[in-house]
Amino acid sequence: MSGPGLRQVWLVAAREMRERSRSRAFRASLLVMLLVVVGMIVVPALLEGRDGPKDVGLTGAVPAELAAVLEAQGQAVETPLRLHRYDTLGAGQQAVRDGDVDVLVVDARRLEWQRSTDEQLRALVTGAIQLVAVRERAAAAGISPDDLAAVVAPVPVEEVELGRVAGRSPDDEAAAFVMTVLLFIAISTYGNLVLTGVVAEKASRVVEVLLARMPARRLLAGKVAGIGLLGLAQVALTAVVGLVAMAAVGTVDIPAARGGVVAWAVVWFVLGYAVYAVAYGTLGSLASRTEDAQTVAGPVIAVLLVCYFASFAAIGSPETGWATFLSYFPATAPMAMPNRIAMGAAAWWEPVVAVAVSVAAIDGLIRLGGRVYSGAVLHSGPTLKLRDAWRRTPGPGRPRGVALGLHRPAHR
Amino acid sequence: MLEFDAVTKRFGPVLALDRCTFAARPGRLTGFLGPNGAGKTTAMRAVFGLVEPDAGQARWRGDPITPAERARFGYMPEERGLYPRMMVAEQLVYLGRLCGGAGADVRKRVDGWLDRLGLADRARDKLDTLSHGNQQRVQLIAALVNEPELLVLDEPFSGLDPLAMAAMADLLRELAAAGTTVLFSSHQLDLVEDLCEDVVIIDHGRVVLAGELAELRAAVPQRFVDVRYRDGATAHVPVDRATELEAVVAAIGRTSDVVSFSFQPPTLSDLFRRAVAA
Repeated sequence: MSGPGLRQVWLVAAREMRERSRSRAFRASLLVMLLVVVGMIVVPALLEGRDGPKDVGLTGAVPAELAAVLEAQGQAVETPLRLHRYDTLGAGQQAVRDGDVDVLVVDARRLEWQRSTDEQLRALVTGAIQLVAVRERAAAAGISPDDLAAVVAPVPVEEVELGRVAGRSPDDEAAAFVMTVLLFIAISTYGNLVLTGVVAEKASRVVEVLLARMPARRLLAGKVAGIGLLGLAQVALTAVVGLVAMAAVGTVDIPAARGGVVAWAVVWFVLGYAVYAVAYGTLGSLASRTEDAQTVAGPVIAVLLVCYFASFAAIGSPETGWATFLSYFPATAPMAMPNRIAMGAAAWWEPVVAVAVSVAAIDGLIRLGGRVYSGAVLHSGPTLKLRDAWRRTPGPGRPRGVALGLHRPAHR
Repeated sequence: MLEFDAVTKRFGPVLALDRCTFAARPGRLTGFLGPNGAGKTTAMRAVFGLVEPDAGQARWRGDPITPAERARFGYMPEERGLYPRMMVAEQLVYLGRLCGGAGADVRKRVDGWLDRLGLADRARDKLDTLSHGNQQRVQLIAALVNEPELLVLDEPFSGLDPLAMAAMADLLRELAAAGTTVLFSSHQLDLVEDLCEDVVIIDHGRVVLAGELAELRAAVPQRFVDVRYRDGATAHVPVDRATELEAVVAAIGRTSDVVSFSFQPPTLSDLFRRAVAA
């Protein structure tokens, strides 16, 4: 594209970013999104924090050591236990029913809960009971406490998660899963903004003023670029706020994705968004009224959904031919290739080739879209058929020059 | 000079432009006339590449029109429309910069036009908060913001009140006097007659009459004698242009009762009706 062409594309993109970031709707939605993200991180942390100290009721025959062992065990796993004694079983049970204690230990042989069992607390209390019982029996058998400690000293047991693919942890798998979902959401959200933007320009008829100044493909490219950059900024801001919130509440429990994987995810967001946004914009030009926007975009939405589920199905088997095909096909590559990269199933050159394929597809789509766009945008009234819009502008391939020669003598 | 050379455009069964050939000269106002559906809007759109001709060509200064030339054209479409939620001045600067001007220059021109059309205090308002008439003014500035060499206006007078109409007419005269080529369509024939040096009349996509208005009128062999008498009676008599004026006056009789008398070539209205009916 030539210099003035790029300049116009940039002007269109800059206008999209400026106007949209100013609009109240955009700011409100951004604020809501940030609040939801922060809430999703902070609220579980707060809830978790609430079950810090546990209340344990004791009633009936209680071994002398049990209280001390319980407290020591609780300290060891950072769950402080508060012990309450009840003289009668009835009083203890009432305390459980009222929620004053989490569990009632009856005769050191039975645990009574209000509703569901708290697994961690159960393990803690039963462990303490077992330990106390073992000590009592050991003492009865004449074993010294030191010997006992040596006998019951725990053997460290290591845990390793293998995942489904050799060389990749379940974290990578989770990252691939999360990325596919996020890419789908981002593509459909910002693709929809392109769709409504195109229809709004047509409905307000400003499009004729614009197209008198620039070719349709530049308008389309600028609009897609502007909304995409804004979307990228919004996603980045949300990610930063999310990370800050996680750091603040101290629950860094995100799948530890590799930097390279994340960088590729950004690349594929850009490409995937561009493919679908151009398609959204092209079909949007067929509608004359905002109400018709979703109807005309039906085919894109259907294709996006099918591609999403196909990519999703391929997450578990990144080595298959099917998954490889999906990771190259421009409509599925943005959602399928990040998965293969995250799973280490793609050779270094594969994403590069897939990017080249996608870029070529985007360029072609913008040209096709530009032609449909210029054929359709000046049409008002009922929604236009794609085929008719295509025919309204003779493409560069038609032998226009021949017809022209008939009417124009060679002299100039 | 803007030239249409046998421009032909077909929309399905409809031949919107049929070897349409005419020219609009710099420094002059050219009225583009024709009944509804004659092809005026299609022809104007062809200047801006909004309609791609099936055959023939629109030329500017002898060369096919390219996007680089269009950056120096101004266009006001029949279907008025701008961004309703965008601020007036910002919107105009945006449209001006799309034509290639530097930001500061465009801003200065926008301010100048807003000032001149009495909209300076609305510069930072959103377009849809303006009255209909003011929105029309903004639309006009949108066509002028790049200081166009060619100005194409589709029905610029429609929907204007008489004062705004007069202001628009003055503005167009002024632009033409400064050397701009102005082509505009209109159904208000009196206004066009008053304003334009040149007219192009188009019907069913074909140019049926084109040229300097005064010459076109003079070329018609008929003259019209209009007489008004003191008692309110009038007479409208077509005569041949070779008819001696004295003979006409003699034929009137009752000369003492005559309030006004005119011996005129046909009006633009007459020309239009003859051209379109033919």
